Amino acid sequence: MRSGDARREILHAIRTNLESSPPVQSSPSPERRGGQGVRTPEGRGGQEVRIKHFTEQLAAVGAQCTTVRSETEAAAALARILADAGARRVVGSDAPLVQRILAAVGNDIVIDRLERLSRDELFACDAGVTTAQWGIADTGTLVLESARERSRLLSLVPPIHVAVLSVRCICESLGDALARLSVASHAITFITGPSRTSDIELTLVVGVHGPQTVHVLLMEGP
Amino acid sequence: MTFERDARTALADGQLRGALRQATTLFGERRRAALATVPDWEGARDRARAIKDETLEHLDRYLEEFAANAERAGACVHWARDAAAACDIIGGIAERRGARTVVKSKSMASEEIHLNAALARRGIEAVETDLGEYIVQLAGETPSHIVVPAIHKTKAQIAALFADKLGIAPSDDVATLAAAARDALRRRFAEADLGISGVNFAVAETGTILILENEGNARMTTSLPHTHVALMGIEKVIPRFADLDVFLQLLPRSGTGQVLTAYQSLITGTKRRAEDEGPEELHIVLLDNGRSRMLASRVTRQALACIRCGACLNACPVYRQIGGHAYGSVYPGPIGAVLSPQLFGLARSAALPYASSLCGACRDVCPVKIDIPALLLHLRAQVVAEGVAVGKGHLRERLAFWIYATVMVRPRLFAWLMRAVRSLRIMPPLGAWTKWRDLRPLAPRSFREQWRAGLGDQRGPDA
Amino acid sequence: MRVSLFVTCLADQLWPSAAVGAVDVLRRLGCAVEFDERQTCCGQPAFNTGYRPAARALARRLIEIFEASAADAIVSPSGSCTAMVHHYDQLFDDARWRERAQGVAERTHELSSFLVHQLGVEDVGASFSGRLTWHDACHGLRDLGIRDEPRRLLRHVQGAQLVELPPPGAETCCGFGGTFSVKYPEISVAMLDEKVDAIERAGVDAVVSGDASCLMQIAGRLSRRGSTVRALHLAEVLASRP
Repeated sequence: MRSGDARREILHAIRTNLESSPPVQSSPSPERRGGQGVRTPEGRGGQEVRIKHFTEQLAAVGAQCTTVRSETEAAAALARILADAGARRVVGSDAPLVQRILAAVGNDIVIDRLERLSRDELFACDAGVTTAQWGIADTGTLVLESARERSRLLSLVPPIHVAVLSVRCICESLGDALARLSVASHAITFITGPSRTSDIELTLVVGVHGPQTVHVLLMEGP
Repeated sequence: MTFERDARTALADGQLRGALRQATTLFGERRRAALATVPDWEGARDRARAIKDETLEHLDRYLEEFAANAERAGACVHWARDAAAACDIIGGIAERRGARTVVKSKSMASEEIHLNAALARRGIEAVETDLGEYIVQLAGETPSHIVVPAIHKTKAQIAALFADKLGIAPSDDVATLAAAARDALRRRFAEADLGISGVNFAVAETGTILILENEGNARMTTSLPHTHVALMGIEKVIPRFADLDVFLQLLPRSGTGQVLTAYQSLITGTKRRAEDEGPEELHIVLLDNGRSRMLASRVTRQALACIRCGACLNACPVYRQIGGHAYGSVYPGPIGAVLSPQLFGLARSAALPYASSLCGACRDVCPVKIDIPALLLHLRAQVVAEGVAVGKGHLRERLAFWIYATVMVRPRLFAWLMRAVRSLRIMPPLGAWTKWRDLRPLAPRSFREQWRAGLGDQRGPDA
Repeated sequence: MRVSLFVTCLADQLWPSAAVGAVDVLRRLGCAVEFDERQTCCGQPAFNTGYRPAARALARRLIEIFEASAADAIVSPSGSCTAMVHHYDQLFDDARWRERAQGVAERTHELSSFLVHQLGVEDVGASFSGRLTWHDACHGLRDLGIRDEPRRLLRHVQGAQLVELPPPGAETCCGFGGTFSVKYPEISVAMLDEKVDAIERAGVDAVVSGDASCLMQIAGRLSRRGSTVRALHLAEVLASRP
């Protein structure tokens, strides 16, 4: 059956079956439904509370967090993280901030650019460094938008994912975050902690197909 | 009857029952703790149900809107009337790609249509990448739970399975076993030409599909291969992007007690620029396979609101005892008992509407407030009205209810009959009761006899 | 207050002490109790098994019988039968019958709910020595929302000590489910055994419930397992005197 015929048949089947059921009062207008985005008050009080909430939730979901106040500090923190993990091959995304921070990391590590890597090489990397476009305080979630950065694979394949996030980009709730996103990005990814499974006897294992370690470098400052 | 036989097998399996008890108890506790973190849980359930009702009421419109927006973003949208059509479409895409191996992330719809078998007939190997599904596939079995498909297997059984199929040394360390699966599957992800996924929600307003998971295998499946095929039941569509909020609040908490799963992927069409990461092609397959038929009645229609969280399985005292395999369907548990007969026909699943004590625990935990007991009663009435045979003894049952109805509309006959049973000590043939339970001996006089004998004439202290 | 007793076929024939106890308690609290002998069954077994025409016929009978009563309230010692009456309107396409069904339903109350909410009483002057645990019958709990009322009543019984059932808990189904108990007896008994295990762990003298159907199921297994724990209807406990 050609797809066009199938489409017509299915839509027809839907309409016929809907019509055959007795009518009720019509539901309220769609505009009143939908998610409830909560707007948080801006200003220092609001932001500080939000940052604290975010870092608490990050810890609750098993992600690491280091607060830094400059790119220099970020580079130093990143160097420490990589050294502690014994990470030798590191790949950074195309975000200029990431490239600058990586360039400032002293360590004896090999830094690659994603475009130059074959698939096998990507799979052999120890760590991927990206930014995150948003953080969600309520849930300790990082939000990555494909239109803003090429971070989809770097936040997935290497066993360590380091994400640089500006404190100004932390929103309060899931609803808030959804309201800020646009589907100009063909892939938006929400990341809440490391990858995990409890499929074997309900025993939690951290680090399955996605990263085993998620580390957020939280950047304060202007 | 298959259900009875399979239920008996399950009941005799002490290890299975222990695993089920542990899993359902744990998920129940975690769910209760998690919903306390939502300020207005009941309000969220109501909102979600209202969105689903609105969608189903205008399903044709929302599907058209979804398809148009998905296509505008670069996806290719296919419409499949039934399982065979869907398998044909997906098989065709795989063949045109020259794919020999495809990777799959969790999709119950793909199991509903027996996709793996259809692909195998074309010489294409489909590898399940969700750990529980991977285990079940290696073992040649079917999943026993919507969220934890391999809950019926011990780590010893899995260790033996991996030793046999993956050639690893047997280990009783769960992390080691998971790592073995990870290594085996990583190669597959890297090499796969085509990835097949399910869809949790499809947003009409934007043409976006959303996939929830914890492991990362769905992200691998949908971002690495050249081609991504997303299979979804037509009931998965929701109207607006903002609607995702309430469903993301409800689903993870209801299913596993998590606030959010580790990953949500929101995919809208294909890459916009050549240098973007991700598949070159996205094919979305819209599956009917009996769903449109369910729209005909408001009672049956509500089963299409299901978001596949698994909460009803965890709450069900019947499922807790027998597990998923006994239901004989890709959809087990309470939701399975009402969905399977409607998708696959009452004749094939006639026992399922009766596999319930109607306790209502499922209705209490359903995030979209599906009234499963009402649906079960509706299907039971259908079984009787259509004369569907449910196991042996159904003719005896019809006779029994004919006698019951005849007697109960005649109070004097009822009273006389019960007096006769009492004085003659007639035992009705209730071996199904007495094999395991004693029957309380009948009191010398019924209530109505006592009332007549003087209880009715007495007054209270104030009279 | 005039009360018309909706005895239920099960209590009438198989657990009459529940109905006798209910009458006793109601009279003690100043109600005049009438009993219409024309009543038989509310139709729940038929409805639950899918025999809707039979259920409808019995529903019509019950509606006619209780409509004819001038009593202030219709009271029943069964949550499931009360819930059945409350669902009667769903049986009818005819608007008039639906209205009549709703009329009867509004006046029909389960016993513990009637005592606490209509009579405003929690202490009925009962006396019963022993450790008790309560089992929530499913329809009373989930269809009628009855949870606190029986517990409040039992806590005021002199000499009685009320303990909550350990996991899987008071709210978990006992496995009766009407014809389910004989259609799928092995599953029914598997569910029942978990409940009885919990009752035994609770170390009580008696398990109490508001539905004779659950009591039959639980009592049947308790005695088969050689337990000394008694199964009692709420009304029996509330009717107890020193």
